[in-house]
Amino acid sequence: MVGEYAANFSHVLLMFGFAIVAVGPALLISRMISPRKRSNPVKFLPMECGQVPQGEGRTHFMMQYYSYVLMFVVFDVMAIFLYAWGSSLLSLPKTATLPIIAFLGIMFAAMAFALYQSKRRNIW
Amino acid sequence: MSAIAPKFRFSYFLRSILDNVFWIITLLTLVGIPLAMVLFFYFELPVMNNNLTSPYLMLTTIADPSRQVPLLKSIMHSDFFRITAFPGFGFAALLAAATIFIERKMLAKLQLRVGPFYCGKIEGILQLAGDGLKLISKEIIIPAKADKPIFWAAPVLFVATAAAFVALIPVAGGGWVVADVDVGLLAVFAIIGFFPVITVLSAWSANSKFPFIGGIRALHQMVSFEIPLILSVLGIVILTGSLNLSEIVQSQIHYWWIVFLPIGAIVFFIAMLAELERIPFDLPEAESEIVAGWLTEFSGMMYGLVQLGSYVKLYAFSALFVVLFLGGWNGPMIWPPFPEDIIKNGIVMGPITAHIPGLPLLDQQMINDVVWFVIKTMGVIFMILLPRGVFPRIRIDLLLHIGWYKLIGLCFVNIFIALGLLYAGVLGPGGIL
Repeated sequence: MVGEYAANFSHVLLMFGFAIVAVGPALLISRMISPRKRSNPVKFLPMECGQVPQGEGRTHFMMQYYSYVLMFVVFDVMAIFLYAWGSSLLSLPKTATLPIIAFLGIMFAAMAFALYQSKRRNIW
Repeated sequence: MSAIAPKFRFSYFLRSILDNVFWIITLLTLVGIPLAMVLFFYFELPVMNNNLTSPYLMLTTIADPSRQVPLLKSIMHSDFFRITAFPGFGFAALLAAATIFIERKMLAKLQLRVGPFYCGKIEGILQLAGDGLKLISKEIIIPAKADKPIFWAAPVLFVATAAAFVALIPVAGGGWVVADVDVGLLAVFAIIGFFPVITVLSAWSANSKFPFIGGIRALHQMVSFEIPLILSVLGIVILTGSLNLSEIVQSQIHYWWIVFLPIGAIVFFIAMLAELERIPFDLPEAESEIVAGWLTEFSGMMYGLVQLGSYVKLYAFSALFVVLFLGGWNGPMIWPPFPEDIIKNGIVMGPITAHIPGLPLLDQQMINDVVWFVIKTMGVIFMILLPRGVFPRIRIDLLLHIGWYKLIGLCFVNIFIALGLLYAGVLGPGGIL
């Protein structure tokens, strides 16, 4: 049963694999026919608009928008929970909608608090 | 633009064609047919007209159209054909190529330029092939300190993920979809979730500053707009009661969901633009600020593959919009149905009866479906391309503000509209419509 259900998705994987098989040779052919000159070590430096790069490539990044990533982790899961309700709504009794409205209320309150906190740039 | 070669003689031209024909026939008889005979022994041949095909029968199909048709049909209904050619990779890549050409010409017309012009006789129609050849013959330069395996894999994975997205899109009725999954919509969201991962992986592995900044921007943008994207479709799921994309299309035979849920459609469209990194949301590849964003270190064919992947993704997203909001393949018959007599009995003119065996090869309903689907998809692609000639780029804090404050609020308005329509008895089972 589980195996049958998973087998439905095998075509997605086949398509994924076919795309790799189809476009992989493009890189190989390109590698074969294109010129490869290793004369100049400057050529293999990272691109910085003509300047000689300084410091690490993986630099620090300002975390002022980090709160949005944290919020995503919570609210993406909640959005998918809503799908479990939405797809079976037609077979549920109408009274089952009220708890979901309460769930939405909790979600809204939490989101409002998180957005308020994410605006306080000084704590980030 | 091109002149006839100075030494041109019509007889030379004829001779060259005849030479080619001679060599093709010679090589086919001496090499091709024996090779085919040998290879046919190793394949599992299809059953045609209730008898098992032998390699010899297989060869005679070349001369007999009445046997070619069932063979072509069996090929067209195989999984391999679906994955490689029609609703799968080939179709998507073809539409993606057409999109690139249309985009360049249309942007040029918007900005009073000419656009691609010299490559190919008609309006530079071969420009894309020329660009492809140029990219494939360019050297691939990888930064010395890059994480090489991940850096090589990123463009291929990007194309493959876009192709996996295409696999879930139904193109025509009667099961013309690569993977008909019960929870197709959730599978689509799962695949969309892979794009920021690939972007950040390639940006981190390049070990360079511009790709890193572009990758982080792409992460923020895709992550913020994924929630409006997911929530804006919930209204349709509430009214349809199904997560299967084919069933969602079949539920729109009489009216499209964009009529009842226009807010959801608008939010989905905006979130789609952000997921595709198109103007006005092209912060990850902002060429005036950070050279090319997360694509800065890609060169040669690697860049070409990322472009191919992003246009295949564009096709997949606009096809998803058509499937969800614009009624998919539903549309009036554009051509009156082909007479059954001609398919069954052939054309009878006095004493002569002409049988045309190739006619029932393609189902007319299916052709009609595909035509409507492509027309709608091209319309949505046009609407996606249009902002590029019109709008400037948006600032990143405004982007996040729009995503988190406005679009999510509109999503909930959309959900309540859907619930209202359902409980007021307008739509759904037992509704007035």
